Amino acid sequence: MKLLLLVPPKWRFETSLAVRHLVTGGGQTVLTVGAVAAGVIVIIFLTALFFGVRAKLTNMLTESIPHVTVKVRETEPVPLSEVQDLDSAMSSSRIEKRAPQLKFIDDWRHVVDMIRTIPNVRVVLPAVQGQGFASKGSNPIGVTITGADPEEQDKVSPVTKDLIAGKYVGLASDEVVIDYELAKDLGVSVGDRIRVNSSMGNSESMTIAGIYSRGQGRGGAYVTLRTGQSLFSMGNSVSVILVKVNRLFDSDEVADQIQKLVPYEARSWSREYPSFVSSLTVQSASAYLISAFSLIASSFAIASVLIVSVLQKSKQIGILKSIGATRSQILRVFTLQGLGIALAGSVCGAVIGTLIVYLISLPLQSSARPGHKPDQLFPVAIMPVYIFGAMFSALLATLMASWFPARRAAKMNPVDVMR
Amino acid sequence: MTAAEMTATEDKRSQMVVETRGLKKTYFGKIETPVLHGIDIEVWAGEFVAIIGQSGSGKSTLLNILGALDIPTEGSVLIDGVNISTLTEDGLAALRNRVIGFVFQFHYLLDELSCLENALTPLVIHTGEVSRDEEARVIRLLDRVGLGQQLHKRPDTMSGGQNQRCAIIRALANQPKIVLADEPTGNLDSRSGDEVFKIMREMNRENRVAFIMVTHDDRLAQEADRILMIEDGWVHEVDKREHRMKLLNSLKES
Repeated sequence: MKLLLLVPPKWRFETSLAVRHLVTGGGQTVLTVGAVAAGVIVIIFLTALFFGVRAKLTNMLTESIPHVTVKVRETEPVPLSEVQDLDSAMSSSRIEKRAPQLKFIDDWRHVVDMIRTIPNVRVVLPAVQGQGFASKGSNPIGVTITGADPEEQDKVSPVTKDLIAGKYVGLASDEVVIDYELAKDLGVSVGDRIRVNSSMGNSESMTIAGIYSRGQGRGGAYVTLRTGQSLFSMGNSVSVILVKVNRLFDSDEVADQIQKLVPYEARSWSREYPSFVSSLTVQSASAYLISAFSLIASSFAIASVLIVSVLQKSKQIGILKSIGATRSQILRVFTLQGLGIALAGSVCGAVIGTLIVYLISLPLQSSARPGHKPDQLFPVAIMPVYIFGAMFSALLATLMASWFPARRAAKMNPVDVMR
Repeated sequence: MTAAEMTATEDKRSQMVVETRGLKKTYFGKIETPVLHGIDIEVWAGEFVAIIGQSGSGKSTLLNILGALDIPTEGSVLIDGVNISTLTEDGLAALRNRVIGFVFQFHYLLDELSCLENALTPLVIHTGEVSRDEEARVIRLLDRVGLGQQLHKRPDTMSGGQNQRCAIIRALANQPKIVLADEPTGNLDSRSGDEVFKIMREMNRENRVAFIMVTHDDRLAQEADRILMIEDGWVHEVDKREHRMKLLNSLKES
């Protein structure tokens, strides 16, 4: 009761009575606090699970792809009449797109510097990408050739991590790292020499320095940037600049910023995988929806318990009014009662919910490959923002739910309830 | 009228705590039910007035209106010189808190609070806190009515008479000018009923608080300063001697 001194005198009576109601309410109080707590637990659990799953899926997907790819823009064909003033002249009505061709980014050093100034950017990798053939004897197999600095490449689409034999970092100019499927098809292993032909017609004999297995995509070959440039006759230019960002879901913004800074086309990973992004959106919408419904359900439970409590207390309300309690005082008593329930419930819910999320986030004891991080039972993310958000929205919902019973109490006519 | 007489009237007027003129009350439900047809009563400071009448005669309705719990349909009601029809909802609440005290047939103490806390509620409602002096005064009053040992007991652990005494002290806690009692002894056995009445009468004399008590008990009514009888929505003063004779006769018959 000492705590009551913290309450301004004007509200002390209401507060102490609301507290007494809650304390003497026993089962009713426990029930309503439980309803609020349940709502909060559902929200915390759902959001943790949703964000955990989202992070896990997205990481799996984007781990080995660049987040933003910068290329030379494909020029769209324009009708001749729009280019020149050809009122009287004849022009062809058939418009054909220019045949695709390998395009160069000549000023890539400057472009790389520009992109590095964008805050969210983590890695910027100039690279040469193109198609070609690899052959051992007379059996050419199509490959996608990437020429880039190995150390930087590992930060964008890791190769070293997936190596099953040999090395990638420290690649010499006549060395190549190819994927396992390709090595199997060619029947080669580390140390063997293969011939690599680019789509530009250049050909080079190279030693296999390493073999990797990524489990997705096949027919990849990694060479140094210089080798790539010479294979595709690019001189000193590159064909693509690959970018990794820190905050994955902001990569669209980074792409837009790049487009503003340099005259090239920047595509974010989320534009490459629209169906993946939209499925995440659907997931998040359903998580929010379920949260909202659970809040509504617990609000109804609270409102109905409070209405019963008001009816039970109608005699008391009558007597309080007859000894001079104002409408707003009665309103405050019951709103404060709701606030008490809301506070207790959201705190209990936050503690229990966080505990549950923490428990299921503990890694499974697994005897799987040593050195590997064991998997979580559920991929969950404990996010304080959402815990406090859940508490706050439960508070709001409960206050709203207690408003109607409180108003009903305030409007009660003492003459009607006291006979 | 001489000047002296005028000041006397003025003085008398300021001593008047309840004054009704042509008070009418009609309930507008599915059918119109007139309950009070025009009541003129005056109650002076420190008076003890008993209101008697058959059930359904409008006694409780009158008491509710005098207690500013209900508003008259017609006519004026002045409580301590203030016309209650001119007050707002909060103004009525303030009037009930500071000028009027209520005692009901059932004690209506709050179960959640102790005897002392219950007695202090009107003060707490008014200011939010109670000064030491005020608390000491209320404790003295409780002690005076024999509840000195029950200060921290809950209503459900006290007897009916004790609860009703506590309710009387609650009604007096804010030092009101009028206490309205609606059959305060109706729910008690005759011994505790007599005790409660005795206490009310003593409080009335000691604190100069006007008491208006609705009762069915002719014997208790006989103890009041004045008796008002309500019959079918009309009021008339009963001569105490006449009333006593009637009472004695009925006692003889039985």
